Amino acid sequence: MRQPARATLGILGVAAVGALLFDMLLLSQGLVISMRNLLEQSGFDIRVTATDSLPQGGPMIDNASSAARAIAALPSVSAALTIRFASARIERAGKTPVRSSLQGVGLSDTRPWTILRGNDLQRGRELLINENAARMLDVTPGASVTVRASCSGDSEALPPVEFRVAGVAAFPFDTPDAATAATSAASLGEACGGQEPDAADVIMVAAKDDPVIAAGDISQLRPDLRAFTNDESVGRLEQGGFTYFRQISTVLTTVTVSFALLLITVLLTVSVNQRLGEIAALRALGFTRMRVVSDVLAESILIVGIGGALSLPLGVALAAGLDRILKRMPQIPENLHFFVFEPQALGVHITLLALTAFVAALYPMRIVARLPIAATLRDEVIS
Amino acid sequence: MIIEATNVSRVFSMPAGPVTAVRDITLSIAPGEHLAIKGPSGCGKSTLLHMLGCVDTPSSGTLLFDGRDVSTLRDRARSLLRLNQIGFVFQRFFLLPMLTAAENIELPQSEAGVNKDVRHARTRELLDYVGLGARADHRPSQLSGGEMQRVAIARALANRPRLLLADEPTGELDQTTGEQIASLLDRVNADGTALVIVTHDPGLADRCRRILTMKDGRIESETHPVGRALPASPKPSGEGGSGPPGASR
Ligand SMILES: Nc1ncnc2c1ncn2[C@@H]1O[C@H](COP(=O)(O)OP(=O)(O)OP(=O)(O)O)[C@@H](O)[C@H]1O
Ligand SMILES: [Mg+2]
Repeated sequence: MRQPARATLGILGVAAVGALLFDMLLLSQGLVISMRNLLEQSGFDIRVTATDSLPQGGPMIDNASSAARAIAALPSVSAALTIRFASARIERAGKTPVRSSLQGVGLSDTRPWTILRGNDLQRGRELLINENAARMLDVTPGASVTVRASCSGDSEALPPVEFRVAGVAAFPFDTPDAATAATSAASLGEACGGQEPDAADVIMVAAKDDPVIAAGDISQLRPDLRAFTNDESVGRLEQGGFTYFRQISTVLTTVTVSFALLLITVLLTVSVNQRLGEIAALRALGFTRMRVVSDVLAESILIVGIGGALSLPLGVALAAGLDRILKRMPQIPENLHFFVFEPQALGVHITLLALTAFVAALYPMRIVARLPIAATLRDEVIS
Repeated sequence: MIIEATNVSRVFSMPAGPVTAVRDITLSIAPGEHLAIKGPSGCGKSTLLHMLGCVDTPSSGTLLFDGRDVSTLRDRARSLLRLNQIGFVFQRFFLLPMLTAAENIELPQSEAGVNKDVRHARTRELLDYVGLGARADHRPSQLSGGEMQRVAIARALANRPRLLLADEPTGELDQTTGEQIASLLDRVNADGTALVIVTHDPGLADRCRRILTMKDGRIESETHPVGRALPASPKPSGEGGSGPPGASR
């Protein structure tokens, strides 16, 4: 490497491009992996809905509690829980009313949330709220609040119902600043003014063993309902909007890798062209063609290797920053991430960089391999 | 004989038509030979030297190195031949700028697979021989032109070649420095290595025992300067053994 400055430039270029490449790889699968983690975090393996549309997006399941009981009785199933989604205005004297999502859950020992303070739901007219709601309403477990529910999409004002806050919980799909509340299906039914008292948007099912078998059993029991394992749910999300990220990432990865290729090829070509005399002299002194060609490859591997190593911490830092920016979009659950590390991404990153080092070296290697010794020595003296 | 060239020609095909750089030259080089090739610019001196050094092959005629027809050798075999039997000294030195003087001299030795201790000892010996014992760790940029050429000569001798080829070795140097290099080359030859020098410089050519004058690709005349007659028999390899070059292997 004749010019340390140029080599440094190459290394920095590869580090920057490599960081972008690494981030694109983290982005391409990040949302899907993160969504799967989120689904699994709830403790349920299967979601049962009335139609193929996502929960909250389609019609509700009627007579949900008896459906849940029947499903829970299946030998492959360990628990089933109905959830009905609504929204509510939660009021407390002296505080600004808070708009919150409100879910009503059926009777089951397995619940999708984690209690942080206070108690889980035990009797009627009790409410669990998330940290955001607790902060906005300035309440602690035991306090009373007034709930004005809005159910089944209609916005007509329902009569206010008094609730007691049983505890503060973390919900898997919580967003950083939205309020979330949960109560029993029966209490939500009351707050909804008795409309469709036994309807649910989704039945969450925990499998005893293999979710696929349990989902099969559910479909057999209730052919009118749809049962999706977490994997299938993720798959459906992937087919929906999530593929955009993969497509964007594929396009940007291609651009990034091409850029790295060009950069290294140009650097190596310039470097080789400046050293033609030295290379021809080494050949005259007995260095084999193989030897001078592999020196070019070694230089490429060195530049890409050091740059690639630097690109990892750089990529991680950049991904954290970008993730923070993307998560400022509304409605993004706090635990959902766009950039997620998995070992496979590292493997692909290393493979792509190794290929880059090799392919970028091809052209300069060819120049060196075809270098006519005598003519080059002569040209170098004349020029 | 180290080299026996018979009716050797070299033609370059150019867009404007073929250029004959070397025409029908017959020439042999014996061990220990001290030979200069001179002639006007463009007469084919470098082209001939490159063929003698096995970096170029004749368009016609045969060139034997140690009895082996060079044109039948593959690139790898020819590289090995150059590595072990031939040394090159260039007008522009062509030292590797990132390496020290010692590392430059070690380079052909490591390529030849010489082990580290032997390599270091040989490099020391050569640095002392060319008078640069104190400059081992200096890079080319820290050396003068004459010093760089000394390092280049040491590098060319590293693998104890039988034949040393120099194309205008004093071309980039002032008169005094050029003379120092010339006497160093004389010493290399006296110590047993056959030497072929291509030069414009009559002073440098006249130090040789045999001078070929070329014109238009041919050898126009061969002279043996007075007082420097051909030795009765060429110095046998290895007998010059007083100094490092040593053609013994
Ligand atoms: N690789 C080449 N391609 C085309 N023509 C060449 C090549 N090498 C040499 N020639 C031509 O062959 C002729 C002899 O060139 P050469 O370099 O051997 O001359 P020279 O005697 O060494 O000259 P100088 O003293 O200027 O170095 C010139 O006419 C030159 O143009
Ligand atoms: Mg020449």
